[in-house]
Amino acid sequence: MSNTLRSYLTAVRSTLTAALCLTNFPSQVVERHNKPEIEALSSLEVVLNPLTISRNENEQVLIEPSVNSIRISIKIKQADEIERILCHKFTRFMMLRAENFIILRRKPIPGYDISFLITNFHTEAMYKHKIVDFIIQFMEEVDKEISEMKLSLNSRARIVAESYLSQFA
Amino acid sequence: MSFTKHVNLQTNKYDNSLEPTALDATVVDFDGVVYRISTPTSKNVILFSLSWQCFPELVKWGVHGMLKKEYGPYFSAETENGYNFTLEFNLKVLPEAKEDREELVNKVSLIKRNLLAQPFERAFVQQRQFEDEKQPNPTPDLMQIQYREQEAIYIQAQHDRVTVIFSTLFKEETDRIIGRVFLQEFVDARRHPTIQNAPQVLYSNKEPPLEIRHLPELQSLGDNEEVGYVTFGHPVPSSLYKTRCKRGNHIPNPTLSRLPPLSYKMFKSLHAFENASTCTSFSESLE
Repeated sequence: MSNTLRSYLTAVRSTLTAALCLTNFPSQVVERHNKPEIEALSSLEVVLNPLTISRNENEQVLIEPSVNSIRISIKIKQADEIERILCHKFTRFMMLRAENFIILRRKPIPGYDISFLITNFHTEAMYKHKIVDFIIQFMEEVDKEISEMKLSLNSRARIVAESYLSQFA
Repeated sequence: MSFTKHVNLQTNKYDNSLEPTALDATVVDFDGVVYRISTPTSKNVILFSLSWQCFPELVKWGVHGMLKKEYGPYFSAETENGYNFTLEFNLKVLPEAKEDREELVNKVSLIKRNLLAQPFERAFVQQRQFEDEKQPNPTPDLMQIQYREQEAIYIQAQHDRVTVIFSTLFKEETDRIIGRVFLQEFVDARRHPTIQNAPQVLYSNKEPPLEIRHLPELQSLGDNEEVGYVTFGHPVPSSLYKTRCKRGNHIPNPTLSRLPPLSYKMFKSLHAFENASTCTSFSESLE
């Protein structure tokens, strides 16, 4: 792991740990409603300041905390067109199955590739440090996954080309 | 290639000595090729017509000669309306032996390949004339075959090689990007030691290769990101050429026929086949 990546992930980890301080908070506007305030935005005084952690302009994390929920958006590194397609396919695949990932949001925030929404009900049901681990692990794996897919695409193309041209051998 | 299967079924059918019945089927192949197999007048006479948008260009490069030579007795004087040419098979005068019939069926199923081979053969002959010092050098023309709406093949014989250029056009951005990766690999794959004999491959995006840069229709395309060009420069060693010539009708790679791309339209035509109650096991035999 390169040094910048390590400090980037450490920053994300400690920010998340600090921000994951959620409590049950029913809506102040509508009776018997209990919605994530960061999504509903019904009372602005319970929404806290958002924070961006960026490694470079292509790799950023946006953390938007509120009293009962927190939204984490990740911008994944995309060096070229192929990586952009693969990243789009990969995140789309996951977001279509968002219910299996519990904290995954169905749509990313504009400008980011994938978003997570953690509410107080999640932190009540799951260990907080495990949730943080999950996010960090996702960030580590996704880059690896995409570059692996890119390599296998290239080698597949190579096999196609070679088996076509080998007819002339 | 997918067409081969369709025709094979027909022999099977007659092997079982079934009675001829009326049929009318339209079959669609790649590159906008449409075949129609029908029996408009009598159940014993099958008409086989083909339509392809680049046929007029192929005629310029001598396709009629090939048709007369390969399919002579079956070539019909009258062409069905909306098609480019028609072959006519009278079931009463077909060859008797099973092998002969199969050969005929095979020949018909290779019709698209034979049509497209004509300009290539012409280019190879011209290239031979360049090499042969006794014969005067020909003036090879740049043969353009607009085999799809916006995609074309350009073939030209040169002193030491035959150059074939395919223009490719992917409409979707994803297709374009992935297409570029795959085509680019053709250029790189040639460095592999075992395939040094393969023709030289060049790939360029947007920019047409030198050979066809002067064409006005390409200049109008300008900076279209979607267009790419694949160039195969085929240096023809004379020994190789001779063996190929001897073989004459070299059949394409057998693995090609294993590709199973049946389009929706083809399936639709299969159902039309069934409705005509000519061959109920048609779709089963395709499995």
